[in-house]
Amino acid sequence: MKRFRSRREFLFESGGGISGMALAWLLNQDGLLASDEDACSNSSSTPNPFASRKPHFPPRAKSVISLFMSGGVSHVDTFDPKTALARYAGQPLTGRGDIIVRQGNPGPLMPSPFTFRKYGGSGIDVSEIFPHIASHVDELAVIRSMYSMSNDHVQAVYALQSGVIRMGFPCLGSWVTYGLGSESNNLPGFVVIYDARGGPMGGPSDWSQGFMPAAYQGTVFKASGTPIFDLKPPSGVTPGQERARLDYLGKLNQLDARKYPGDTELAARINSYELAYRMQSCAPEAVDLEKESAATRKLYGFDDPVTEPFARQCLMARRLVERGVRFVQLYHGGLGVQNIDTWDAHENVRENHGRHAKEVDLPISGLLTDLKARGLLDSTLVIWQGEFGRMPISQRGLGRDHNPGAMSIWMAGAKIKGGQVIGSSDEFGYKAEEQPISVHDFHATILHLLGMDHTRLTYRFNGRDMRLTDVYGELIPQIVKT
Amino acid sequence: MPRRSVWLALLAIAASSVKAADRQVSFSKDIEPIFQASCWTCHGATVQSSKLDLRTRQSALKGGEHGIVLLPGKAEGSRLYRLVAGLETPRMPMSGKLTPDQVEAIKLWIDRGAQWESAAERSPASEALNWWAFQKPVRPAVPVTSVERMNRHPVDAFLMKAMQAQGVKPAPPADRQTLLRRAYLDLIGLPPTLAQAAEFLDDKSPDAWDKLIDRLLASPQYGERWGRHWLDVARYADSNGFEHDFDRPNAWRYRDYVIRAFNRDKPYNQFLREQIAGDELEPVTKDSLIATGFLRSYAKVGYREKDNPEFRYEYLDDMIATIGRGILGLTVQCARCHDHKFDPIPQTDYYRMQASLFGSVEVDHPLTSPEEARAYETKTAELDARVNEIRQKIRTLEQPYRNTLLPPKYKKFPQNIQDAIAVPEAQRTPGQQLLASQVIRTVSVSSAEMERIMKPEDLAERRRLEAQIAAINKERPQRIPVAMGMTDGDYRFTPDGPGDEPAPGKGVKREAIEGSYLHTGPGRYQVPPSYLLIRGDLNSRGPEMKPGFVSAITYGNPPVELPPASGHTSGRRRAMAEWLVSPENPLTARVIVNRIWHHHFGRGIVATLDNFGKLGELPTNPELLDWLAVEFMDRGWSVKELHRLLMTSEAYRMTSQFNDASNMAKDPQDRLYWRFRISRVEAEILRDSILAVSGALNTEMFGKPVFPKLPPEILAQTKEGIWLDHEDGPEVWRRSIYIYRKRGLPFPLLDVFDLPNQNISCGARDVSTVPTQALALMNDEFVVRQARLFASRLEEAAPGDPRKQVELGYRLALSRPPDAEESKLAAEFLAGHKLADFAHVLLNLNEFLYVR
Repeated sequence: MKRFRSRREFLFESGGGISGMALAWLLNQDGLLASDEDACSNSSSTPNPFASRKPHFPPRAKSVISLFMSGGVSHVDTFDPKTALARYAGQPLTGRGDIIVRQGNPGPLMPSPFTFRKYGGSGIDVSEIFPHIASHVDELAVIRSMYSMSNDHVQAVYALQSGVIRMGFPCLGSWVTYGLGSESNNLPGFVVIYDARGGPMGGPSDWSQGFMPAAYQGTVFKASGTPIFDLKPPSGVTPGQERARLDYLGKLNQLDARKYPGDTELAARINSYELAYRMQSCAPEAVDLEKESAATRKLYGFDDPVTEPFARQCLMARRLVERGVRFVQLYHGGLGVQNIDTWDAHENVRENHGRHAKEVDLPISGLLTDLKARGLLDSTLVIWQGEFGRMPISQRGLGRDHNPGAMSIWMAGAKIKGGQVIGSSDEFGYKAEEQPISVHDFHATILHLLGMDHTRLTYRFNGRDMRLTDVYGELIPQIVKT
Repeated sequence: MPRRSVWLALLAIAASSVKAADRQVSFSKDIEPIFQASCWTCHGATVQSSKLDLRTRQSALKGGEHGIVLLPGKAEGSRLYRLVAGLETPRMPMSGKLTPDQVEAIKLWIDRGAQWESAAERSPASEALNWWAFQKPVRPAVPVTSVERMNRHPVDAFLMKAMQAQGVKPAPPADRQTLLRRAYLDLIGLPPTLAQAAEFLDDKSPDAWDKLIDRLLASPQYGERWGRHWLDVARYADSNGFEHDFDRPNAWRYRDYVIRAFNRDKPYNQFLREQIAGDELEPVTKDSLIATGFLRSYAKVGYREKDNPEFRYEYLDDMIATIGRGILGLTVQCARCHDHKFDPIPQTDYYRMQASLFGSVEVDHPLTSPEEARAYETKTAELDARVNEIRQKIRTLEQPYRNTLLPPKYKKFPQNIQDAIAVPEAQRTPGQQLLASQVIRTVSVSSAEMERIMKPEDLAERRRLEAQIAAINKERPQRIPVAMGMTDGDYRFTPDGPGDEPAPGKGVKREAIEGSYLHTGPGRYQVPPSYLLIRGDLNSRGPEMKPGFVSAITYGNPPVELPPASGHTSGRRRAMAEWLVSPENPLTARVIVNRIWHHHFGRGIVATLDNFGKLGELPTNPELLDWLAVEFMDRGWSVKELHRLLMTSEAYRMTSQFNDASNMAKDPQDRLYWRFRISRVEAEILRDSILAVSGALNTEMFGKPVFPKLPPEILAQTKEGIWLDHEDGPEVWRRSIYIYRKRGLPFPLLDVFDLPNQNISCGARDVSTVPTQALALMNDEFVVRQARLFASRLEEAAPGDPRKQVELGYRLALSRPPDAEESKLAAEFLAGHKLADFAHVLLNLNEFLYVR
């Protein structure tokens, strides 16, 4: 974007089309305004006084943990029970026009292989495969009338992330960090942690900043080992050597900066080396899960190899949010073997969803419990979603094909009223029926909870004030009401 | 449609504060958006609940099965109003209440006659056409100022006039060392070698600078730098993008074409003609065919294209957006769903542009003589036919074995499927039919399985037949080289691409028409009809559209079709190309001149390179822009001439180190170009400079892209498409323009330094400063290795002489010797640290990263 052609120019022009909070963030993000505190932690409890990231109105939450179930979770087997599927089992789904499936021909209606039961004071029905998440149901707002925009995985992931099925548009995490900045001096504002089995379908475009500056791109943290690519010097370089190089570099750059007094871009680059240096110690600290108590680790499921991988991701998310990271995007399910390592249950829903539910159920439950115990749940929005739902009809006997027409998602934290069900899909779960909720509605609502009006959070690109929600988006009233 | 034809004046925008009586209500601005958001879903193209269709005035007046809903002039009596106002039930729309403001707008609109301007009837208002950018540039007189130094060159004179008006002083000239480095990084994207530096610095003749520019423009490396700028505009990449991110094995030929075009100084008008209509020119050349890759560089789903007709409209939109932004500096694509909100581009213009491109289809142009291409195709078809015949024999031979082996295979399926298959077809329930159909025909038997149970004589026969196929395949001619491009054809007959095979049992929906993909004669190719799409919706066809252009910038009555003699193509793109490069077009020359200015001076005269419309920035020096645009056309659209012109100005040679307080106060952003603007080098220059300084740069030009090795954790992010992951070494130490551009995985070292998004045409890149850049330059293995090579180079040149090594290091990396303080600091550092650490620090200096 031309506004960002030059940071110098941008700083001078700060009134022209970019909000003060983004300006403050950029300064902060470059370390220009950063205080010299050495401590990595607690930056969220001592926010940078200059980084006054004013949202449009008082926010309900200040950070987001997004749990993305890659491959597409079947709503009729998890959060949207359909008794009609048992009643009409084995019969064709008729009266809905052409049933568009992704692969082959449509099969007949198939009941869920799982049983549902009512949980909590609210008595919301949840599938047996999520017993731990279900124990939090009184804290969840379950949306049963969401729908997606494509029955192709990648386009649907892009839709959920950016509101557009094409590549090249900023994702939700980019919009949020663009709007609010980060509260951490030592960590990126937008962090992505994907499944140890591999990245999600769609790859790095899933956390792309699109037409925004690279600063708003999601930074990938690995779930184990050194968290950030190129964070550490190659082997053989001692910390002393590294510090000496940085000091020498700093001296030379300072000498040089005298030739350009007042040039903030050069100053920012000098500072970026110091910030990078701090990140080298703070990023590993942020994800050092050994520091957590045995009880906490058990709560997330570290003691079971099935739950351990996603437990790591969830616990890292909590630690990052605690340290002021604005947006943490977790992906469960990765590009190992598509139909096996993701929720893409074409072959066998019982086997696929049974396994993946077990992998995430306890870790997510642990995350919710832990956030609550630490008083973070009220200030953190937790969202759970996939790219689309699945068909009420079977595929080759026991599987289900993609269904963008209806899906179930849930939101928690951010002082959202829990224990409520919003909207519904039709009798079979084929299409969203009552109060259909689009991706844009979902995004508008998330921004609202963070204190931003989705119609006013704009980024001027190519002569147009672009929005995450384009020209669409209605707030979900049951979520936004307090 | 020529501009200045008859139009309807648009009503002024209603302000929310005005009283109802004074409130202006326009169908397009106030009512249509409400209908679109809240009514047409149920009373529109696809569904007409209660048999009510609100799309047109005529259909709305007709009413639905419950009677009349609209009485123009009488809102209170119109059920349309009463239902949305809640005066009758059920309250409309079902999806949620309208706001009081919207209800009032509907009331006023009905009371005032419920006028209904359809998109096709609307035209832009006259004042919008008076926008500066839509007027043809006229060469202004070159001003004369009181500053003698600034009167010698027209560019300086225009700039000085503007500076004087603001009381701003021009900076003094930069020193020759700075100018040397500036010119090298700018024109070829590499720092000068020691010999190159000496050649200029030792040349004391008055035209030393002119000779330097000539040398650089003649360097083949010039095209590798300036071609890159155009590839950004062309959103060039080597892969499809989207889920599968398929490789584009021939995309690189277009990249090479662009490099060659810049090196040969192909006139910009011809450059555009070839890219828009290279297959329609007379004569067609290999290069002009390759050039059509420009249109085809859009990201592409590349899977199930025929099941998803909307994809084609996305690609057409991408072409229109790229031509609009890239060539015209206009956001034409904003008029896809509605008239442009800010510029006088009606939706009809968009669909005229679309009609101009609608006849085009993807094709791989053979790059041989037509005779060779035909011979190749004939031979291949003949061999295919022979192979197929034998395959058929094999299938017949195998059939009994397949029949034996198939039924047990169904056993791996769930019981419900097996049960369904066990029931004779005629007796299956509807559900069982579905179950069976999902499996039957999807199960295959491998030839190895059959081999195990085949009778020896059948097995021998099959082997004999397979040997025949192998023999035939040996006759296959060498594949002919092809270019990935466009030509005209009927998209409804697109051959299957990868992944296009319909799923078993699912026929692809094809319209029942006769025709062929490419038109090879006789007679003239007819473009399939295209339509205005209401709200951009593929299912809401408006009137059929004729080809045409953006009316606000169309002077006279240019032809919309210029068919070639062969009749194989429609000539619509040729006509569009001629319209684009016509001297009558007010934007094309201005836009390219401004781009080139931007790359030299760090900021465009119009700062928004891709948008000269209402929401773009105004030119800081409109007279200069127009003078340059006219001069550019008069000099034969020569880009190299334009470089010479701009670089011989005083403005280009000013110092960047001029911190005049009064200037800073009056023009802090340097919009007047009173000093040279420093700017961070682009990602490719950074990597290429590192390689040049270390001595490792492989200057081989052209050809297939390279894939520098990536760490496994980066490769794990996607497994779609290809990444050949070549060893780190001279093979990949080539200029960054030759690195494979994978849409799904931008090359990390370049990406972190603001490589632009590869999916949208991009003029000016972002410049961000983030700590991950510092991490990459300090810790990335590539950089560390190059720093070591750089150190070895210094050690070899001056063994055991740290003072000389430091001096050489500075000269190579920064094109200047160190000053006394720098020498002292270097000596101190080297006393305790390795030469490689010193070399590494040089590659991290701000000075190394900036053009000054």
